[in-house]
Amino acid sequence: MSADAHAVHHTVTGIDNRKFGMWVLIGSECFLFGALILNYLVNRDRGLVGPKATDIFNIDITTLSTFDLLMSSVAMVLALHACQHREIKKFRFWTAMVILGGIIFLGFQYFEFHHFIHAGLGLTTNVFGSSFYLLTGCHGTHVFFGVLWLTSMLVTSFIRGKEWFPSVQLEVAGLYWHFVDVVWILIFTVVYLFVYL
Amino acid sequence: MKPKSKAMGRVACLLSASIASLLRGAGSFDEHPYSLSASFKTPMDTLAGLTDWAQGINYVYAITTVVVAIVFLAVSIPLVYAIRRFRVSDEEWGTLVPPKQVHGNAILEFTWTIIPVILLLFIAVPTWQIIFRQPEKHQVPANAMRIEVIGHQWWWEFRYPELGITTANELHLPEKTPVYFEISSADVIHSFWVPQFGGKMDALPGKGAENHLFFTTPVLQHPEKKGGEYYQGQCAELCGLSHALMRFEAVLHEKAEFERWATVFHNPPVVQTDLEKKGEQVFMQCMSCHTIEKTPSADLEKQLLAMTPPAHKAGPNLTDFGSRRMIAAGTRHNTAENFHDWVHDPSSIKPGSKMVSLGLPQADIEAVAAYLRYSTAKTY
Amino acid sequence: MAKCLPNTGVISWITTVDHKRIGIMYAVSAFFFLLCGGIEALLMRTQLAIPNNTLVTAGTFNSLVTMHGTTMIFLFVMPLSAAFFNFLTPLMIGAPDVAFPRMNALSYWIFLFGGLLLNFSFVVRLAPDGGWFNYANLTGKAFSPSHAIDFWVFGVQILGLASLIAAINFLVTILNMRCKGMTLLKMPIFIWTTLVTQVLLILALPVITVALVMMTFDRTFGTGFFDPAGGGQVIMWQHFFWIFGHPEVYILILPAMGIVSEILPTFSRKPLFGYTVMVYSSCAIGFLGFAVWAHHMFTTGLGPWAQALFSAATMLIAVPTGVKIFNWISTLWGGQIRFTTAMLFAMSFIAMFTFGGLSGVMHSSPPIDSQHQDTYFVVAHFHYVLYGGAVMALFGGIFYWFPKVFGYYLHEGMGKAQFWLYMLGFNLTFFPMHFLGMQGMPRRVFTYAGDQGWNLWNLVATSGSYVTALGGVMFVVNIVYTMATKKKKAPADCWDGRTLEWSLASPPPEYNFAVDPEVKNLDDWWHQKYTHDGRRLTPRYQPDVDPATKHLPHPSFWPIILAAGLEIVAIGFFFDEVGHYISVAGLVVTLLATYGWIFEEA
Repeated sequence: MSADAHAVHHTVTGIDNRKFGMWVLIGSECFLFGALILNYLVNRDRGLVGPKATDIFNIDITTLSTFDLLMSSVAMVLALHACQHREIKKFRFWTAMVILGGIIFLGFQYFEFHHFIHAGLGLTTNVFGSSFYLLTGCHGTHVFFGVLWLTSMLVTSFIRGKEWFPSVQLEVAGLYWHFVDVVWILIFTVVYLFVYL
Repeated sequence: MKPKSKAMGRVACLLSASIASLLRGAGSFDEHPYSLSASFKTPMDTLAGLTDWAQGINYVYAITTVVVAIVFLAVSIPLVYAIRRFRVSDEEWGTLVPPKQVHGNAILEFTWTIIPVILLLFIAVPTWQIIFRQPEKHQVPANAMRIEVIGHQWWWEFRYPELGITTANELHLPEKTPVYFEISSADVIHSFWVPQFGGKMDALPGKGAENHLFFTTPVLQHPEKKGGEYYQGQCAELCGLSHALMRFEAVLHEKAEFERWATVFHNPPVVQTDLEKKGEQVFMQCMSCHTIEKTPSADLEKQLLAMTPPAHKAGPNLTDFGSRRMIAAGTRHNTAENFHDWVHDPSSIKPGSKMVSLGLPQADIEAVAAYLRYSTAKTY
Repeated sequence: MAKCLPNTGVISWITTVDHKRIGIMYAVSAFFFLLCGGIEALLMRTQLAIPNNTLVTAGTFNSLVTMHGTTMIFLFVMPLSAAFFNFLTPLMIGAPDVAFPRMNALSYWIFLFGGLLLNFSFVVRLAPDGGWFNYANLTGKAFSPSHAIDFWVFGVQILGLASLIAAINFLVTILNMRCKGMTLLKMPIFIWTTLVTQVLLILALPVITVALVMMTFDRTFGTGFFDPAGGGQVIMWQHFFWIFGHPEVYILILPAMGIVSEILPTFSRKPLFGYTVMVYSSCAIGFLGFAVWAHHMFTTGLGPWAQALFSAATMLIAVPTGVKIFNWISTLWGGQIRFTTAMLFAMSFIAMFTFGGLSGVMHSSPPIDSQHQDTYFVVAHFHYVLYGGAVMALFGGIFYWFPKVFGYYLHEGMGKAQFWLYMLGFNLTFFPMHFLGMQGMPRRVFTYAGDQGWNLWNLVATSGSYVTALGGVMFVVNIVYTMATKKKKAPADCWDGRTLEWSLASPPPEYNFAVDPEVKNLDDWWHQKYTHDGRRLTPRYQPDVDPATKHLPHPSFWPIILAAGLEIVAIGFFFDEVGHYISVAGLVVTLLATYGWIFEEA
């Protein structure tokens, strides 16, 4: 999609088509995650067998991974800033940091899933487990594609050389990344914290 | 476009049909099956409501029909008039000076925003009246008779917990009695519906998903006739292959007659002839799915229910099979011939039927037919 | 590579990113699927012509019911609407193309592959049979063990993805690429209904996506979201489905309303009455459309308060809809009405849609609905709205814009014959269904007994369906005749139109506008032709220029490859042993195509 809009220089709203498209996609994603969260809330206490949320959640570790993802969003802001100011080293460094943050988050998630499965909560154990894995798994998949996207941009940066500053593309990726981050904060609150209310 | 007369005729037709049906109630069924009168007097007529619940529906329906007819006239008359009045010929069109370019009229547009709101209130208020008149679960009168309705692919199970009765496909009801149905499903979603007793209610599977329906049964239309009045019901939610063949009958009795039915129901089968005795033996093969009270099949059921988790028999309870008017979930008359066809190859009558063909020899089918059709017949 | 692709021939169509060509491909595919869905309908009607008929088995009938509904909604009305969005949106807003031309091609190919996958189920004799709303738990593995339901789940998932991509594209196009002077309230009304439709798609589709993923998990990985045995609830599927499914109804009808709102003014030579109110009412309908889903579930035991609230919300939708109907009549009032085929279809839309809307108001009342739900009364209702409404309007649109698209008028005599056959056949089929519903005939029954009193009306309905089929034949003959003889060439402004597309040659050049248009008024093209007191002016038609001077997006192979990759992912789910290899291969193709796409010069 990145190169499609080159023919159009001027837009009515003044927002680049690609950026506008990402905003619209985010609107759609809100309903996607909304449906998943709703489904989780409905099914949270409906598991007939197997462990319950309070039995297996480890808030400390999840708080750490949430902090990690938040920091990657900060790195994203810095990467974009560097890109817009044509500072190649900083642009590459901070993009790498975002990617690293994403990978660490995925590592946490792998660890968490691993731990839960050992604690007796598989995908098919009960509807609580199914809903939990579907919601967090869907979010993890979003993080994974974000990592893939930013990695592709970083690799491209090394191929295209020091004069390539894809500000708009990075801004679009940044929108996506921030959205995925915000969704995680919502999931963290609704899934992990509300259990203890 | 549509000529005016056609539009008017259509409304008149709908109105007269509705009114005629409202006035009439269920009729006899002697006409030619393709005649117009037969097409408006049917066993599933939704407009021939008899219970308080069904009549409440028809009350809202009648009001709504009038409102809707008014709106239809308010649209179709100006529409047809405008189309006729302002038509120009193809040749003239485009050569004429264009008409006045009217862009809108705030007062007019406001008017036809407000008027529908007012008209809708005429529908909404009686609607809410009827909705809130229906008692919720905790509001059901204590004297109401409780009946559990359980949908199966593709037959209906009816249980009367207070009477200790479990039966299938024939729902016996006393007249003028408040009844309270607890509707659920053993497999997929079904929908319990006797149009003349009111609207339908879905039968959902799962614990805690039971639905409730409450109404007072109507008075008998022909009290002089003995043996109850039959009203047809049918599953209304797509539930698999034989959804179309998942019917049942509601039988309305005079109160004393219902008492007798509930008493004789518990009588053991009366096995007299040799054929019936042989049938009783053959029925042993049917026991893993079917139960007849006061026979070894009932003992087996008790054992199954005592297991953890309790196992339910897959087929309908046949305790009063002999006195049922229809077999195969209200789709065939209870005749020897139909019985034979059914037992011989159930899925030829009901596609996908869960009842297996046991491959019984002809003589055995005849014997079990005699047993089920005569020994289990109860007189009340 | 892309630059040396040919301009004509099959390859040019496969690689095209021209919104006009994509629009044509959408329309052609939609009519192919209409043929499928129509044959399914005829088979069903033939089966039901007489009681206890054995033409088709119960299983086949359930498949026909399911596939007829799914096909007509997802493979006919939606893509045909998409054909209009594609062809008309840039022309009406004065843009060179859509915002993302290659994504436009992508959404078409995903749609086509999804439709073919769905219909391939007939070839392997595993056509889905769970109804078009595929209610759990009948569609769970326990009750539908074969892959039949998977065809539906993956087919609809893929089609949803296609619609979502298209919706994002059109939303951005409309908001971002309008020509100079075209403020939101100077956009043609069809663009407005398109815009609202895209918003509905963008917000409703993710909900069905989630539900379909859950069903896939249930069926493939053994979860129990909709399985009561493990604590799941069958009713959840219904909520999810209808939160999508009711906006979907407006996704089907809003484009049709837009088309009618374009045709009526043209052939009355008057502007649309109450344009602003029409815009607001479209938005109101779209907004309320999200608040009424549970009226499809009145008989599932919602409880009195939910019933009361959802019935009130449903009745409320009648208000903006009613405003539209009276504004259409006022548009005709005082006009100079010409009875073209397009106009006949548009005027019939008002009548048929009103009728369907009114029966809709009837079962917005839960007590009434408890009798009507799942009977033929509902079948009659939504066919009046979606067939008498949406489909009639879409045919009107075909007759109206055909000369613009292909440069030749369709034959008016045959068009009118088709119209009257449709009107007669349609009403003959669906009007008696009101009676059948009131007489208690349930939907989706593969047969009925002869003693139910349903014989006469079923026979009448079936005869009507054959009359409709004749109308369809008439349409095919008309298209073939028109394109074979090419008798009546259409000028640029062939109907004395009001919107920008009529300033272009018929058919429009590949680059659309040689000179960037600038508009001052609503219906700007009309105002270029006539003064306020009706005197004629000389409008400035768009000139012809050498296409080489225009920058056009390059054709590309990547959209079709990417779409194929996604299709392969879905196909993997149908194979138990090697399935995951196939799916992973599909993912790899998708990913490679994405990279090829990004690094290709557009």
